[in-house]
Amino acid sequence: MDRALTQNPQAPTEKARWHSWIKQYPAAPIIVVLLVAFSTLSPYFLTAGNIESVLIANSVIMLGAIGMTMVFLTGGIDLSISTVISASAVIAGIVMAQTDSISLGIATALATGLAFGALNGFLIGYCKLNPFITTMGTQLVARGIAFLLSQGIAVKGTPFGLMDFSFAVVLGLPAVSIITLVITMLFIVLLGYTSWGREVLLLGSNRSAARYSGINTARTELSVYLLAGGLAGIAGLISIINLGNAIPGVGDTLLLIIIGGVVLGGTSMTGGEGSVMRTVLGVAILAILTSGLNLLGIPFYDQLIIQGVLIFVGNGLAQHLSRRR
Amino acid sequence: MSLKHRLSAVNWLPIAAATLVACILLSLLSSSFMSYTNLQSVLVQASVTAIMAIGMTFIIVTAGIDISVGAILFFTSSLFAKLMMDTGSYTLAFACALLCATVLGALNGVLIIKYKITPLITTLATYTMYRGMAIHLTGAQNIPVPREMGFLGNGKLLSIPVPILLLAVVLAVGLYLFNATRFGLYARAIGNSAQSARESNLPVNKVTVFAYALGGITTGIAALILLARVGGLQSGIGIGIEFTVIAAVVLGGTKLSGGDGTIVGSVIGAIFLVLIDNGLNLMNASPYVYDIVKGSVLLIAVVIDKVSVTRQQQHLLNQRAARIRATG
Repeated sequence: MDRALTQNPQAPTEKARWHSWIKQYPAAPIIVVLLVAFSTLSPYFLTAGNIESVLIANSVIMLGAIGMTMVFLTGGIDLSISTVISASAVIAGIVMAQTDSISLGIATALATGLAFGALNGFLIGYCKLNPFITTMGTQLVARGIAFLLSQGIAVKGTPFGLMDFSFAVVLGLPAVSIITLVITMLFIVLLGYTSWGREVLLLGSNRSAARYSGINTARTELSVYLLAGGLAGIAGLISIINLGNAIPGVGDTLLLIIIGGVVLGGTSMTGGEGSVMRTVLGVAILAILTSGLNLLGIPFYDQLIIQGVLIFVGNGLAQHLSRRR
Repeated sequence: MSLKHRLSAVNWLPIAAATLVACILLSLLSSSFMSYTNLQSVLVQASVTAIMAIGMTFIIVTAGIDISVGAILFFTSSLFAKLMMDTGSYTLAFACALLCATVLGALNGVLIIKYKITPLITTLATYTMYRGMAIHLTGAQNIPVPREMGFLGNGKLLSIPVPILLLAVVLAVGLYLFNATRFGLYARAIGNSAQSARESNLPVNKVTVFAYALGGITTGIAALILLARVGGLQSGIGIGIEFTVIAAVVLGGTKLSGGDGTIVGSVIGAIFLVLIDNGLNLMNASPYVYDIVKGSVLLIAVVIDKVSVTRQQQHLLNQRAARIRATG
């Protein structure tokens, strides 16, 4: 070690910087491998049309995953994100079908998400309940509400303005992805560069230290679940834009993909370790994988197996990289 | 020890009381509820969840969790139906299905101790894998099972329905393992503190894998009962059942933080959930209300539990303070 430093002072720092970067983003090498593999295997993979459809299809997942990342950072979990997406979509869908007002739809979707988030946050932050079992309860409630209000079928009567929005293109990208992008950047800044973000990270890595340093842990925890709920609300609205109707089961299958994306990105479930940027990469892995395997004609059930294996590989890789200093 | 103390040590008492209240309410709602046949059918309906909940209790007691049980259930059903269709041999199908369920459960345990990823994430990943494997196996077909299979689901032995008998057997074995063996003791020790358990040279890895394998085999037994009751393999089997099972265990009085639990409570928890279904059914409620009610019951139960734990801790603190004052 000493000799390396004296002989070539430049090399180790360069190497160290690379190591710390790769430790930060263990998902990056997997993405590179997947991109290279799929673009050689399928000529359609790197076309504008495919990239666009991948971006649109994953906007809902990305918003849910940002919320899940924040919750993971506090050492909690929010199983209700997926069904809150459904509930917000259904409630906003019904309101929009009745009033034909898009702004009212946006408001109700956001309000529904925030209401569930507030409930979770209050029970977990202030009542100190176990996040897993609490959000399991709200997951069931949200799912029940989504199905009860819609009677189990898609809510029709989405305003035409919202339908038009799904075709809108801003700066060469679908408008939906621009919204997702803006929200993602907002949360990268919120978590990475504000005192609130540092409070969240400290809360997750050492709860008592956070309390003794004067952080109102209950309030911070409430804010995290509240924001996660709000994001789920927006995701619900975006699901209407993407699908044309509010579908009561839209979120049911998303939970695993959302958690998978966050974990693959390298955010730890035990708290204090992770970032929104990592989650972007983690969600990208699953998005690229799904799109690529679809193009190659791999049936969905084999994709499930590959996804499951990938979570272990990704985690193993992340652990391997972080151990190798 | 006063009676109050002794009663508070029985951790399945709250759920038993709640179940009793539910029974009384239901018998007021409907005169046919308290009939022998209806109570029997409640137990039969609860048997699948209850058997799985017994296995899950061991896992949760080690401070673990298994989200993949629904997928194991589906895989076991698929394997059994497929083998029955292809070979027609009951022995082969039963042996393979139960063995496979145990192996899949044990695999969860092995992956958890080998990769040191939290049980939740590990079993979430295997959930995806197992479900994919199951559909791969059958090619997403719906496969009927032979008529005689119905015996496991609806048949009677000594005038007692077979699922209830199976539940009784699993319960007896579960109680024995939990209360009278070293395995049960070690499982609780690991749940209290895996670190201390390891430092006291307990076979942590072996016990963990065994607990997950138990979860697997109970799921296998439940899968066969469910398959017999449904009459064939359907694509939706097992979706969401993991949450029902975990809810039964938690309602029963086992803490998700591990360290202690109750097998009897988990079984009563499963029965309680069926009673809710039963009651809503009697009231002609929309099927979509069931989720809302179950979710709310779960939330209320956790809040009540929290309040009682806080009060107990306060009581202990007060006692200690009084003792210190008395000696000082």
